[in-house]
Amino acid sequence: MLALPAAVFACLLFLVPVMILLSEAFRMDGSWSLQGYVDFFAKPLNRTVFLRTLKLGVLVAGTAAIIGYAAAFCIVNLPARTRGGVFGLVVLPLMISPVARTYAWIVILGRTGIVNNAIVGLGLSDTPVRLLFTETAVFLGLLQLFLPLMIISLVSAMENIPRDAIPAARVLGASWVQVFFRIILPLTKEGLVVGGTLVFTGALTAYITPAILGGSKVLMLETLLYQRVNVANDFVSASVIAMILIVMSFSANLVLKRLASART
Amino acid sequence: MKTVAFAALLGCGLASAAHAEKTLTISVYAFAQDEYKQALYDPFEEICDCTLVVETGNSVERMAKIEANAAQPVIDMAVLSTQDALSLADKGLIAPLDPADLSSYDKLYPAAQDPIGNHMAVGYTFYASSIVYRTDLVDIDSWGDLLGQDVAGRVALPNITGTQGPLTLMMLDKAAGGTGTDLSDTISTIGEHADDVVTFYSRSSELVQLMNQQEVIAAPVGRFAWSRFKDSHLPLAWADLAEGQAGGMNVMVMTKDNGHEDLALQFMDYWLSTEVQTRIAQAMIDSPANKEVTVSDAVAENLTYGADVINALNIMPARSVIDNREAWVEQWNTQVIR
Amino acid sequence: MQFRNLGSWLILGATLTFLIGPFIIIIFAGASAGNSLAFPPEGLSLKWYLKVFTVESFRASFVLSMGLAIFGTLAALVLGVPAAYALNRYKLPGDEMIRTIVAAPIIVPGIIVGLALLRYLVVPLNFTVTVALFFAHTALILPYAVRVVSSSLNNLRSDMEEAAVLLGCSRVQAFFKVVLPNIRGGVLSAFILGFVTSFNQVPVSLFLSGPGVRTLPIDMLSYMEITYDPSVAALSALLAFMSVAIVFAAERLLGFSRYV
Repeated sequence: MLALPAAVFACLLFLVPVMILLSEAFRMDGSWSLQGYVDFFAKPLNRTVFLRTLKLGVLVAGTAAIIGYAAAFCIVNLPARTRGGVFGLVVLPLMISPVARTYAWIVILGRTGIVNNAIVGLGLSDTPVRLLFTETAVFLGLLQLFLPLMIISLVSAMENIPRDAIPAARVLGASWVQVFFRIILPLTKEGLVVGGTLVFTGALTAYITPAILGGSKVLMLETLLYQRVNVANDFVSASVIAMILIVMSFSANLVLKRLASART
Repeated sequence: MKTVAFAALLGCGLASAAHAEKTLTISVYAFAQDEYKQALYDPFEEICDCTLVVETGNSVERMAKIEANAAQPVIDMAVLSTQDALSLADKGLIAPLDPADLSSYDKLYPAAQDPIGNHMAVGYTFYASSIVYRTDLVDIDSWGDLLGQDVAGRVALPNITGTQGPLTLMMLDKAAGGTGTDLSDTISTIGEHADDVVTFYSRSSELVQLMNQQEVIAAPVGRFAWSRFKDSHLPLAWADLAEGQAGGMNVMVMTKDNGHEDLALQFMDYWLSTEVQTRIAQAMIDSPANKEVTVSDAVAENLTYGADVINALNIMPARSVIDNREAWVEQWNTQVIR
Repeated sequence: MQFRNLGSWLILGATLTFLIGPFIIIIFAGASAGNSLAFPPEGLSLKWYLKVFTVESFRASFVLSMGLAIFGTLAALVLGVPAAYALNRYKLPGDEMIRTIVAAPIIVPGIIVGLALLRYLVVPLNFTVTVALFFAHTALILPYAVRVVSSSLNNLRSDMEEAAVLLGCSRVQAFFKVVLPNIRGGVLSAFILGFVTSFNQVPVSLFLSGPGVRTLPIDMLSYMEITYDPSVAALSALLAFMSVAIVFAAERLLGFSRYV
């Protein structure tokens, strides 16, 4: 009874409108059909954008996992006093507006920005490298935005590894590679699943980063959706993209869970 | 205090029908809003004893929004490119303007009086389009130079969906020896050079930033944006091109059945008046469509001013943009954006 | 051992530079004495930090975003606290269903929520954009409210309120006298989390903007398209300080991180 207002609110003002939007692509000319989806994927641009979004999502999540493991391992092994402070610094960016965080990359990656100054200064290239409006820029922006989520998930997973498990394995002659695959990975896979889903879904559904750092040349599903609606009132494409985004997030979670249970 | 303001805001929202106070909602380009506020909005609010609510954006987004809200117009009066206005007129979403309601009507250049037919719109400004470029780094004297080696990797082009897009394509086609009517070859050529283009922008305002940041050293720009570039600390110039300047007109329209028709007409008439058009011209923002406006040579230099200049512009008929837009966008998305 | 320490500090240093560096750059880029965005800045001054307060649209959108964050979170708590309590204390028929429905806003991408509300609430039903924004932000915060409050209810033994009931309190009195005071920390944490989430939210508000109605992040986006000056950097830095100060205070006073 007490839960009813929340459920009714979420249903009426949230689920119902979203469901109607999702159904829009199936209702072409008054009858039910899949034509909206066929038309959407018939366009090469839409296929490119879909594949690019998938690719960047996987790359960002994968890179975040690698950096995340290294960073989380270091954090867990810090003395208790410094640990809280370092962990706080990892969480800090999550409290800062994504507009601010993305805006900074314009300054960093621009032609006259610090990255290019370093590249030219070190003699790696005679002329500045074009970084803005490239997939690299979007990748870096997304990674910076979502890496904290991965680290947080992995740190809390690693806290559950018994304190002496790793030294014991080392004493018994296990290499670091073996320690990682035999002990750390199996014991933290739930954290990896949570972190991976959060980062992947975050990368799929970020708007500002691809909009500012990618522009019209590096469209992702989210920016494509915005453009289709704003320029052409194309709600069928919007509905298709919405469905793709939701299905992708769910499948990412399922696939990761699958992988996690297959490993043992 | 903020709490009270917000509660009031929500309150008004819930009782949206009970809006008693006179408000006029207009949607305009994002450029030079501070200057517009001084020259037009503030004085108008004094005269009409009403509140002006201003929304900004580019023309094509405004058109889409008016269409999406057709049943219950949110915007009363909007300024658009001729093709977007014509597209709305075709769909029956804007109301005709009776010249008798506009006292400044007879003072307008003939081309501005009925630009899309049936008195569905009036022109309020003409603009030329040319290339803004860095004089210290490149020489630009033809539209074709946009795709040349000198600017490769540092040039920005307008997106096809915007107003400047088709204009640029037309001039590129003319530079390549075409007539500027069939643009498919030009789109293919841009597709081959897509990697040389930094970005395809959809608002001229974005370019100001890209130029200042030295990311871009040459790009097609409408004259209405020029005042923003000439204040830059970088050596930027307005190119004098072999094929001449492209150009167009921006027009005012009134949405159908918006309920604020009288106020909208009063506002349009005020904007078209010699007084306001002169003020806006003096501020070097938009060039006048009212032929009674006189400005000094120094000011005229920065504008698209006078019958001679206006008549020399390469203009693309609104109808042909509408007829071809879909095919262009299709080809563009396949070959250019990829 | 020494080597391993060095190695782990290198890894942490690089990671933290990547995460925090851009924020430091924004602070300094906003403190430029020059007229354009650059790092390192052309001299230092506070003029852009001061200019932020004079931009009229920033002021209006700040008030809107503040209002949405405060009232949206309050509404989410009013709906969410009883829901969390019911889901936690009673075995309800269909409680899995309710859990899923209440958690749904976290799964659906924000841009879709904004578009759906615009298209099916604002346009046909004549809701104003402000009201739609309020609904959208409330829905968005609801899952966080339920989750955070649930986890603090988990830590509260239910025999305390049973005792209160035995001693003559009604169920409602027991809730307000025993349960609520004990989960105060969780509720406040949920409020802060909801506030920060709502205030920084972009995708939901992207389509939900109308003449004169724009949330602060959206307003910043359009401002930076028009003007190339460091004021957006300055504003970003100020907002970041605000968020961090709130969270820091909450951590000190409440042990915020226990609940999140």
